[in-house]
Amino acid sequence: MSDDSTLDRLRQRVDDILRKLQGLDAQSDLVDAKRLVEELRNAREYSRMGRLAEAVSRHDPKDPTNRRLYAQYLIDTGKATAAIDLLKPLAQRLPKNHAEFAEATGLLGRAYKQIFFDTGDKTSRGAREALKQAIVAYRKPFEENPANTWHGVNLVALLARARRLGLRVAPDLHPKEVAAKVVVALEATPENERDEWFLPTLAEASLGLDDWDAVEQNIKAYAANRDTKAFLIASTLRQFREVWDIENVDDRGRGIVTALRARLLELPGGGLDLSPAELRQARAAPLPAEGQLEAVLGVQGPKTYRWWKTGVERAVAVASIRQQLGGRIGTGFLVRAGDFGFDPKDELLVLTNFHVVNEHGAGNGVAPAAAEIVFEAVTPNQPYLVEKILWTSPVERHDASLLRLKSPVTGIEPLPLAKALPVLEDNPPQVYIIGHPGGRDLAFSFQDNTLLDHEGPPAGKPQIPGVCRVHYRAPTEGGSSGSPVFNSDLWQVVALHHKGGKLGMPKLNGKEGSYGANEGISIHSIKEAISG
Amino acid sequence: MPHVTFIHGISNKPPADDLLRIWRNALANAAEPLPLGDLGVTSSMVYWADLLYEKPEDDSSAYEGVLENTAEAIDGAGDAAPPVPRTPQEAAFLKGLRAQLTAFSDEDLATTALPPVPAEPQGALERVPLPWFIKKRFLNAHLRDVHHYLFDVEFATPGKPPVRIQRTVRQRFVEALGVINVSSPHIVVSHSMGTVIAYDCLKRVHDCPPVDGLVTLGSPLGLDEIQDQLQPGWTRNDGFPHEKVRGDWANLFDRLDPVCGFDPKLANDYRKGGAAAIEDVAVQNDGTWRHSATKYLRQPDFCLALRRLLRV
Repeated sequence: MSDDSTLDRLRQRVDDILRKLQGLDAQSDLVDAKRLVEELRNAREYSRMGRLAEAVSRHDPKDPTNRRLYAQYLIDTGKATAAIDLLKPLAQRLPKNHAEFAEATGLLGRAYKQIFFDTGDKTSRGAREALKQAIVAYRKPFEENPANTWHGVNLVALLARARRLGLRVAPDLHPKEVAAKVVVALEATPENERDEWFLPTLAEASLGLDDWDAVEQNIKAYAANRDTKAFLIASTLRQFREVWDIENVDDRGRGIVTALRARLLELPGGGLDLSPAELRQARAAPLPAEGQLEAVLGVQGPKTYRWWKTGVERAVAVASIRQQLGGRIGTGFLVRAGDFGFDPKDELLVLTNFHVVNEHGAGNGVAPAAAEIVFEAVTPNQPYLVEKILWTSPVERHDASLLRLKSPVTGIEPLPLAKALPVLEDNPPQVYIIGHPGGRDLAFSFQDNTLLDHEGPPAGKPQIPGVCRVHYRAPTEGGSSGSPVFNSDLWQVVALHHKGGKLGMPKLNGKEGSYGANEGISIHSIKEAISG
Repeated sequence: MPHVTFIHGISNKPPADDLLRIWRNALANAAEPLPLGDLGVTSSMVYWADLLYEKPEDDSSAYEGVLENTAEAIDGAGDAAPPVPRTPQEAAFLKGLRAQLTAFSDEDLATTALPPVPAEPQGALERVPLPWFIKKRFLNAHLRDVHHYLFDVEFATPGKPPVRIQRTVRQRFVEALGVINVSSPHIVVSHSMGTVIAYDCLKRVHDCPPVDGLVTLGSPLGLDEIQDQLQPGWTRNDGFPHEKVRGDWANLFDRLDPVCGFDPKLANDYRKGGAAAIEDVAVQNDGTWRHSATKYLRQPDFCLALRRLLRV
């Protein structure tokens, strides 16, 4: 669901129906509410999905679809063991020919699989047990009906991983034989019954056969398609990395992961989180073998790759801002002093929000003397200290602080600044945020946002003199104060991100109403404010 | 803020918004990317295919398709009927323009046995290694659309009232240049027959607003038959539209582009006060059909020229 107004409407409908479900005549709204739970799942609106599934369960605790969706919400929000406690009795009480039986057992497998993924040491007892239980859960529905190909393909993946780990789980099963059965079942599917998961499943089953040509060919058939969906790429990427661990198999596996990451980020709704270690790996990764980018992504493959590599390089200049001896409080990024009219022109400075670093540590920010800056992708163990704030503008204006560091930063290129804001056109352009979002483990989040509006030329009407605001929205909420906001093709900074992610942001340029939006301050207006 | 006004060429096209998006995407995906939106450059399209074709191409993916196996892929969409001359002058024009493209007669082209590529092609279209049943669609569209514009034919598509083609297209071009809320630079990028329209308006239409630069891609302006129809206005010694083009004119051509024919260079024919003032740039488009607009738009030399004109 990439249409932002559709998302707003969906959220509003959910809030309305949640209120109604608390009323006396809740039964009449139950059908709509159940349908909405599924819509929320498709839109990855997990918070509301959980609340609504809970509300529906209180009225109809036996509804198997709602219970299964509730379990899915639990898995997707990191509560896999609670999901297992819900799914086990559900699978036991459903007759085997019930449509939800295969779904519930498959999801049980997914919950165990998630526990396996999340365990750092894959050889630990807990991880091995989770892997074993996942295999048991996926095996049953596939053996009872080979048309359950998503169970089958997960079974192949987990068996292959178990064999690589040297685990004796289901010794009577051979991954290649199961993979061959999955391929046969898929190919037997009439063309008009093949859904959007057909090609990703076939690609994965081909991996089970060690047929790399077929893997690339099947991925290309959907990944190179102009209208492909981000969730299909994300799903393949997750499965290939987390279950198959193909990056550690060989160069061809690494090339596929690189190509899929690049494609995912390019698609609307295709944000990406990378740990600092993953970002370092991505920087160091060699160029995929000649021809592989075209084989996986089509003729645009090399360009997509170059674009992705540029984004990865830009992330290096993004820093986390921490309170000394404390936690991370925001994001900042490296800029060239000369771009803001300061000398020496080639000195590297850090730009962040006023509410992150300010003279007196006002609000939730810290004073310069208490702040430290860490470029996580390059020198994670080398905090830089702040000498002084060169220029600052309060929250209600530019919400910006430009910091001079005590020691010079070397080996990192400053971010290039865009000369203009992107043009607002009928087909809204994308902007990208790279930052360290709060509430999650330290990660570089490449977040794709739709540019909603801005107060820049030609039609903008700034309401705060000298301040040009920019509104944009990501399909998933979240963000990070002080992050750079980039234009989509050139990876040049267009704005300093400062707040958002909430409903109720008043629209810009005198337009009536409000919406869910992030807000940044145009980098150009910060430059102009500094130059006076 | 900087602005680019595009104008398209012959044959039917996807809807105006789609066409503008396709052209902008071609620029953004070029080897020397020029993402206009990211650079703060606004853009618009002077669209005139609707005057000559009943409805736009609804399959945008067929437009300039890479397989080059359909009329839509080679500027031949829309099933244009061959034009019927009304005067001896029009007949001579059509005969001359046709001869630039092929020496084969309509009867030759209508036979089921397709004429082979001659050892020494007489017409530019004969050099294109594509079947004639596709090239014929292009030929008809080219002759019809060029003729109807240059001779200001009154024409009606089904269900619409008849309009004078040249008068209406000129009006659209002049209005498009006038209404844009832009500061300089304002650049016109034209392709194919669009280059003739842009030149005609900038040189010969008194009310046409001035622009800061002109780019012509795959232009037939070098052909004598076209130049003859641009008089009064055009002269070899003072053909440059300096009255309305304040800056440079860059002309990009592919030597195997049949629309440019055997006269792809313009500097010698459109002088400014007797001196050459146009930058002629030879490029090499890929594939068999070298006239494609998006192939020109993706050329690094074009992106560099436009970047220079836009000063971005």
